[in-house]
Amino acid sequence: MIDKRLFQLPGIKPLFRMLAGLTILQAFMILLQAKFLAEALVISWQRQSLNNIVHPTIYFIIAFLCRHFLTWVKDAILDKYATKTTEDIRGKLLDKVYTTGPQMISQAGSGNIVTNALDGMDEINNYLNLILSKFMNMMIIPWIILIFVFFQNITSGIVLILVFPIIILFMIILGYAAQDKADSQYAEYIVLSNHFVDALRGLTTLKMLGLSKEYAHNIYTVSEQYRKKTLSTLRIAILSTFALDWFTTLSIAILAVFLGLALIKGTLPLYPAMVTLILAPEYFLPLRNFANDYHATLNGKNAFTATMKILTLPSTKQRQLLPSLTWNQDSTLELQKINFQYEHNQSLNNLQDINLQVQGYQRIAIVGQSGAGKSTLLDILSGFLIPQGGKIKVNGQDLPHLAQDNWQQQFTYLPQKPYLFSDTIANNIRFYSPEASDAAVKAAITQAGLSKFIQSLPAGLATKVGQGGRGISGGQAQRIMLARAFLASERHILIFDEPTAHLDIETEYSLKQTMLPLFDNHLVIFATHRLHWLAQMDYVIVMDHGRIVEQGPAQQLLTETSGPFFELSAHMRGDQ
Amino acid sequence: MWHHDTWVKPYLKQYKFLLALVLILGVLTTFCGGALMFTSGYTIDKSATHPYNILLIYPAILMTRAFGIGRPTFKYVERLKSHNWVLRVTSKLRTRLYKTVEQDAAFFDEKYQTGNILGLLSEDIAHLQNLYLRTVFPTVVGILLCLIIVIGIGYFDLWFGLLILLLLAIEVLIAPLISVAVEAGRRQQQKELKDHLYTNLTDNILGANDWVLSGRQQDFKQTTQKTVAELNKSTNHSKHFRWRRDFYLQAVLGIIFIVLLIFTNLCFTNNAERANYVAAFVLAIAPVGETIIPISQGFEEYPTYKDSIIRLNNLHPTPQKLPQQQHLQPENFQKLVLDHLQFEYDADSPVLIKDFHQTINRGEKLALIGPSGTGKTTLLQLINGDLAPQKGQVLVNDINVLALQKERQKLFAFLNQQPFLFNTSIINNVRLGNEQKTDTEVQKALAAVKLQDLIDSLPQGYNTPVQEAGSRFSGGEQQRLALARILLQDAPIVLLDEPTVGLDPITENDLLQTIFQVLADKTIIWVTHHLQGVKNVDQVIFLNQGHIEMQGHPQDLYQNNRHFQELYKMDQGILIKR
Repeated sequence: MIDKRLFQLPGIKPLFRMLAGLTILQAFMILLQAKFLAEALVISWQRQSLNNIVHPTIYFIIAFLCRHFLTWVKDAILDKYATKTTEDIRGKLLDKVYTTGPQMISQAGSGNIVTNALDGMDEINNYLNLILSKFMNMMIIPWIILIFVFFQNITSGIVLILVFPIIILFMIILGYAAQDKADSQYAEYIVLSNHFVDALRGLTTLKMLGLSKEYAHNIYTVSEQYRKKTLSTLRIAILSTFALDWFTTLSIAILAVFLGLALIKGTLPLYPAMVTLILAPEYFLPLRNFANDYHATLNGKNAFTATMKILTLPSTKQRQLLPSLTWNQDSTLELQKINFQYEHNQSLNNLQDINLQVQGYQRIAIVGQSGAGKSTLLDILSGFLIPQGGKIKVNGQDLPHLAQDNWQQQFTYLPQKPYLFSDTIANNIRFYSPEASDAAVKAAITQAGLSKFIQSLPAGLATKVGQGGRGISGGQAQRIMLARAFLASERHILIFDEPTAHLDIETEYSLKQTMLPLFDNHLVIFATHRLHWLAQMDYVIVMDHGRIVEQGPAQQLLTETSGPFFELSAHMRGDQ
Repeated sequence: MWHHDTWVKPYLKQYKFLLALVLILGVLTTFCGGALMFTSGYTIDKSATHPYNILLIYPAILMTRAFGIGRPTFKYVERLKSHNWVLRVTSKLRTRLYKTVEQDAAFFDEKYQTGNILGLLSEDIAHLQNLYLRTVFPTVVGILLCLIIVIGIGYFDLWFGLLILLLLAIEVLIAPLISVAVEAGRRQQQKELKDHLYTNLTDNILGANDWVLSGRQQDFKQTTQKTVAELNKSTNHSKHFRWRRDFYLQAVLGIIFIVLLIFTNLCFTNNAERANYVAAFVLAIAPVGETIIPISQGFEEYPTYKDSIIRLNNLHPTPQKLPQQQHLQPENFQKLVLDHLQFEYDADSPVLIKDFHQTINRGEKLALIGPSGTGKTTLLQLINGDLAPQKGQVLVNDINVLALQKERQKLFAFLNQQPFLFNTSIINNVRLGNEQKTDTEVQKALAAVKLQDLIDSLPQGYNTPVQEAGSRFSGGEQQRLALARILLQDAPIVLLDEPTVGLDPITENDLLQTIFQVLADKTIIWVTHHLQGVKNVDQVIFLNQGHIEMQGHPQDLYQNNRHFQELYKMDQGILIKR
């Protein structure tokens, strides 16, 4: 009913004590409110004058206001805690993204993490607020009321206490039945509910196929199917609420009858009967509130679980092993028998026994089919993935992995589809070197061949790009990345992952002319399936199914007439 | 906003009987709740007078039970009926939204694909559902209940009736309106902050690699912290407002209790039989309070509803004006003339296509190459009549293509970058190409595009669902499915819009081979971004900024044009030294 992990949240125990105290106080206010209301009603019933109900009425309203004021206070205290806790969790999540980020993101999915850090946090907040207050109310208020009722009239007390387990039992049984039914319909249900968006997204295709007009009818039919399905699920799903309502109202009715009979017999005076009747709905109210919000909290619970799962993923440690380093002509990097798999217990490793030696300002191409492991190898080299076996040496120093702060600040990474931050072009270019002067940025822009483009923009370098900013073509985005690399001149390593794969041939051609000067005095590691780059490379690594199947100087591989490289390049070119 | 509304008001009328039923059930639910307390109160008051015969309270006991059962039953039925009503309206709204957007399909990509307008529109319909369920129904039910109470009390004493009317009006009218007034601005601000936060977080997570490389851990956290702080401040204000408002609403309920205590003390104590109604009147108000106090909360979402209603009402499609439609047998197609086309999206944007002239004979194959944004896709849309040129015309055998729109799916087939696959089975997806075709013909088409082996390997075979947007299959496989669809469509002219973009070279090669093999007898206009497979065409056109930069037979170009030669060599990975 309540998640045990909640009790492990920092600061929750004092909060619980505080809430419990306030709730007990509140329960007494409910008793007082009922007591004075009953008194006033009995006095009126005895046909005494208005003066005589003044005092009970005033006490009633004071207790009534106190009760609701306590709700306000509890909500405020709880919300403050929930907000603080949620922000702590969000902070931890972001820390996790930074320290273990890329590996974790590839495991959890980037969309997932964004949703988690945004909507998920709202849901957790809501969850903490609802579950703690409703749970506390349910655990305290009914029992205090029950004890009080026992003191007034034992029969009523017994009626109330008997109903409680019956309600819970029925709710559980019906809840399970509804759950089973809902589960069995879920997949179909999702298809139906997504059908509309599906149709809207596919409208262009429908139009091309000449079906768009008739399809409107289909929309209506499916929507009606969805309606019927929803209603048949709902019919069962709300049965548990129905049962709860049924038992609570019926037990109030039964109670009224019992009380009436006792009154007729004269075994009970009016006042205790009245107080019991007033308290009966209050006795059930916390349970009803808990049940009403229970479904609303399920999302929060799921978000909480998902976030906790991310937070318990292992963090990358030992990030500071490598002393400050500037890659130069004599620097070396060595990989020995590196193994990696994305999911444990795969039959095939994503990388298998990778051996590689790199020195100075070499230019190394990594070629292979899609899925051969090129990007995985690049991610190991950039420290975004942690190898599961093997040795790494930088300048002779043994390292467990390359997620070293000082290594990662030594290179520039150019992915297939560069990510532009929602910021100005200037700040995107300055991303690695926020302190760079305007003149330096200007120079980098010229080197990256962006000057003309930037002049054509009304806001120039201050143009916003990225999400919510100006749309920008793939070629220009790559040039912004190149400008970033030109600007970060203290980084002497370039890691490229098919940077021109998505570009049209002419853009690729002109971009290539821009990129070549950047290669000077840099170690270049370049994954590509565009073979023309090999002319600019010293060394080629051929990968297949996670292994290096061939490696050697570029000139040597290019003249071969057989072997893995020869076959790969023939296959790529087609039979032209 | 409500003046010209056509998305909410008409539907309130459409199923008015069901709507009335929903509202009556809503009223009955709370009425029974109140009546249960009323009769219970009466029962014990009456019993306390020690009636000589138990039969005297028997009617009251019966009614107590009836109301006790009535309340949950009415509530159950009400929930079902209200969902039924809302979903019926949803079906209508969805159909209407679809039809509205469909009329616009010419400018579809320009207008809707960017910025997820489609997602927004379909969410708008969900918002309308909530508008009914959370705001309209509870408010109307609340008002009706209040009227019943006021009339009931006014019957005994006019002034008390008026006083209660005033107090209840605060609960169901004034407080909700104040809530809207106070919260509208804040909600707007929160929405903006939330969008901002979303952007920040997306930057944090999608750009995580770059952040790590930059070494700027402090900046990384700070990007979101400021927005989060502002957002929390604003939501905090909202929450405090809500708590305070709810407290005041409870206080007003407290006053109603007092007024009823005074009212019953003054009006019901003239004889003993009437005094039995004292508790009844006072206790009946508690369930009513539970129903009317949440009304204000339902109003807080009003700004969201308002945005949705405005957006839907602002949808004004611009249907294409087409000339008198003519008829052309697909097998009679002879040539396609692009007659000095000129096109711009609107007066402010630059001219995208300038004086473009080309004649394509039946069976010829043409490749269009050029950087993104030069109007290659636009040209395809001009050819099939999705767009109309400002100058010039597209002629199919001397008939303007705009006069052939009624039967254009018989003339043109289109394969785009990401063909859309509907979330249904393989066979249904392919059959969309031509719904008259038999299963065997569909299977033949699938075999032609070389999917036979793949389908045989699937347990459900042809009935395998493709999942949302075809996600069960790889990019190359999705293209093949779409290609099978085109084969069934069997139109003489096929327009290909970069069908291989994003595929790796080997998959690309294989797919291009299949495409040109199965479409050998068709007229093809193929937009592509590089030169892979270009030997399959008769003509290559390099477009740049709306005009033709280079044109010719690929082999002639290779022999005579240095730039083409360099591009071709680069594309083929034939090495050029610096």
